[in-house]
Amino acid sequence: MDDIISVGRSNGKNGVRMVYLSSKSPSVPNLNEAFYGDFRRRISPERPQSHLSPTPLAEEQTNASLIDLYGDDENGKDENEPDDAEQEDGRNSELPVSPTLSPSVTTPAQGSNEEAPKDFSQYDRYGFKKQNAHITQEQYHEWWDEYSRYCIRRKRKWQDLLAKSGLALSDNDIPDRFPPRSEKLKRYVRKGIPAEWRGQAWWQFARGQEKLNRNKGVYDKLLASLNDRNDKVFSRDLEVIERDLHRTFPENIHFQKQPNDNEEPLMIQSLRRVLLAFSDYNPKIGYCQSMNFLAGLLLLFLDEEKTFWMLVIITSRYLPGVHNINLEGVNIDQGVLMLCVKEYLPDFWQRIVTKEQSRNYEFLYKLPPITLCTASWFMSCFVGIVPIETTLRIWDCLFYEESHVLFKMSLSILKICDQEVAAARRVMRNRVTNKDDSDIEIFQAIQSVPKKLLDPQTIFERVIFKRRLSLNNLNQEEIDRCRRYVSSQRLKLKNYADIMGDKPITKDSTKRDISIGPDFVENALSSEVYGFRRSLTTAHWNNSIKEKVRQIRRK
Amino acid sequence: MLQFKLVLLGDSSVGKSSIVHRFVKDSFDEFRESTIGAAFLSQTVKLEKHQDVTIKFEIWDTAGQERYKSLAPMYYRNANAALVVYDVTQPDSLVKAQSWVEELKHKVGDQDLVICLVGNKLDLCETDASARQVDVEDAQAYSKEQKLLFHEVSAKTGAGVGQIFQEIGEHVYERKTAESAASAAAQSRKTLNVELQRPSTNDSTSCCA
Repeated sequence: MDDIISVGRSNGKNGVRMVYLSSKSPSVPNLNEAFYGDFRRRISPERPQSHLSPTPLAEEQTNASLIDLYGDDENGKDENEPDDAEQEDGRNSELPVSPTLSPSVTTPAQGSNEEAPKDFSQYDRYGFKKQNAHITQEQYHEWWDEYSRYCIRRKRKWQDLLAKSGLALSDNDIPDRFPPRSEKLKRYVRKGIPAEWRGQAWWQFARGQEKLNRNKGVYDKLLASLNDRNDKVFSRDLEVIERDLHRTFPENIHFQKQPNDNEEPLMIQSLRRVLLAFSDYNPKIGYCQSMNFLAGLLLLFLDEEKTFWMLVIITSRYLPGVHNINLEGVNIDQGVLMLCVKEYLPDFWQRIVTKEQSRNYEFLYKLPPITLCTASWFMSCFVGIVPIETTLRIWDCLFYEESHVLFKMSLSILKICDQEVAAARRVMRNRVTNKDDSDIEIFQAIQSVPKKLLDPQTIFERVIFKRRLSLNNLNQEEIDRCRRYVSSQRLKLKNYADIMGDKPITKDSTKRDISIGPDFVENALSSEVYGFRRSLTTAHWNNSIKEKVRQIRRK
Repeated sequence: MLQFKLVLLGDSSVGKSSIVHRFVKDSFDEFRESTIGAAFLSQTVKLEKHQDVTIKFEIWDTAGQERYKSLAPMYYRNANAALVVYDVTQPDSLVKAQSWVEELKHKVGDQDLVICLVGNKLDLCETDASARQVDVEDAQAYSKEQKLLFHEVSAKTGAGVGQIFQEIGEHVYERKTAESAASAAAQSRKTLNVELQRPSTNDSTSCCA
């Protein structure tokens, strides 16, 4: 299993040291073991009472405390979950506490004589820092106290579900298989997959194994041939990848070089191999900034080869064209998002575009500035945009329900932004008068609101699956159709612009602006403008008809 | 208060985000996550030269990778100023910066846009003089020839960062007051505020490029 690809080969080019050595899996931290050293220190079965305790190690809450919690919290009731009674506690003993420290796990506490040892209480169960510019340690703990209990309750539900489906847990407490797709399973996924099972669950829901079976040995071959690649395109990718390796989760413990350790962290080595192999595998994409975050997060949950194939699946199935060299997929998805905002958040829509732009669909062609912010939400699938537990919940749904989830999430976040902006205005007593101020307000909200979504429930329970928002109509079919529409419209506009010719810029650029004004867009789009609207309403109509038919049948 | 839109451009990992963070938050992180797409920040400064003038900078910090260039017109649409950043220890990054200057001049036209060339990571040269790979004279000569503002800075130590924004603020302000005086003379009914909004340019590149 541990294939040595090529040992310590260095390459003088650009002074970049290329090392494609060692195996594919050792970099994967076992969530239960990653903080084992820490866990041992607090082997006491008591749940920490206070996280504000002055004794740093005794009371810290890391993932170890979650493991503890699994052991002793018995009375958790999930208010929102009508099905399945609580089960007996027999399974507490199933919880794995590995007696030996896996050699693959970077143990940050070891051998740090020179620098102060890291205070693990500052890190969460994935190795991310709890505190940041938007969330204080206190806020974090206050939330985590509640959410960790929720996670325990959910895990029990999952264990019941698996038991009922006749699926056993393997020795390491991780299910080999999950039940087949069903409404119930979807509901479970939406409420969060147990953290320790995520890798396996994502892999199954995204049908990763099928992909891998069709491509056995491909990843190894890619790695083996990396040293032979030295064309210009590849070396350009290589350069950007090298620069990004240390800019991927620099605050995460698994991506940091440990004191007194001369070796690059294993995680960084894996990340390099995955990204290089991918850029070789798919030259249409090569390497696109943001993929470092996708691969980086995957590596925390899956081994290297699986990470690679998941990256292939994300960039082709879920986000087609988004990472391509011309980034046209980004523009298409942002066009789709804008159409959705227009449809579902009409008030917010009026804040971000002029009536004119809205009327003639110019916004598909000349995307509103807000999309400069929202584009990254899609490119990185919310990694680094929202706090980690919220990101993971989004990923759970993404792999089960596909990309329309990203649009729903975006709409939910925009809705919260809209509410914040509106609330701020009431406080300010409408002091905002000009468009610039209002734009700044919105841009700032769009960047800060998501960062504060520490509690996934904020968007999951309150906003996203509420009927009131009527987002239920926004299914994958709708998004796919919308993507095709926006794609073809943008192509038409491009062709039209090409035919019209690119007039050189004159001093009076306003004139030129008029020539690409409403008429231009209307001419270019002609009858198609209303085609989309029809298709949207048709979709709604279809859905409601389908539902009616179902009801009649039931009767 | 005047509002100016400023955009940062340049090769990846030259320190665009670090410069902005030094300016806006007066802080520095040795390892900063790569910027995806763009980040928006704003900061208000009082001009030293014109004490009564306060400027609010609306700053768009962009991702540096080549392919993000296709989104660039969205960033510099209506921009009043552009910081084109390179890394003084990476000669390639100056070449990239120069191609950005070309692009800005070609697509926006230089008469309204204030462009400032910024060499970052000066601190690396202070600890080790041999680290410098771009001579200050060369960059200066290029800036002069292209009529750009020019600064060498260190986002890490903060050296020179404040000056960039002071100078840009002054330039844009002076340009705008001169313009509005001219347009007032021309009996334009437009107010200063309206004039500050640059009209959209070359839209054909903004989505289909």
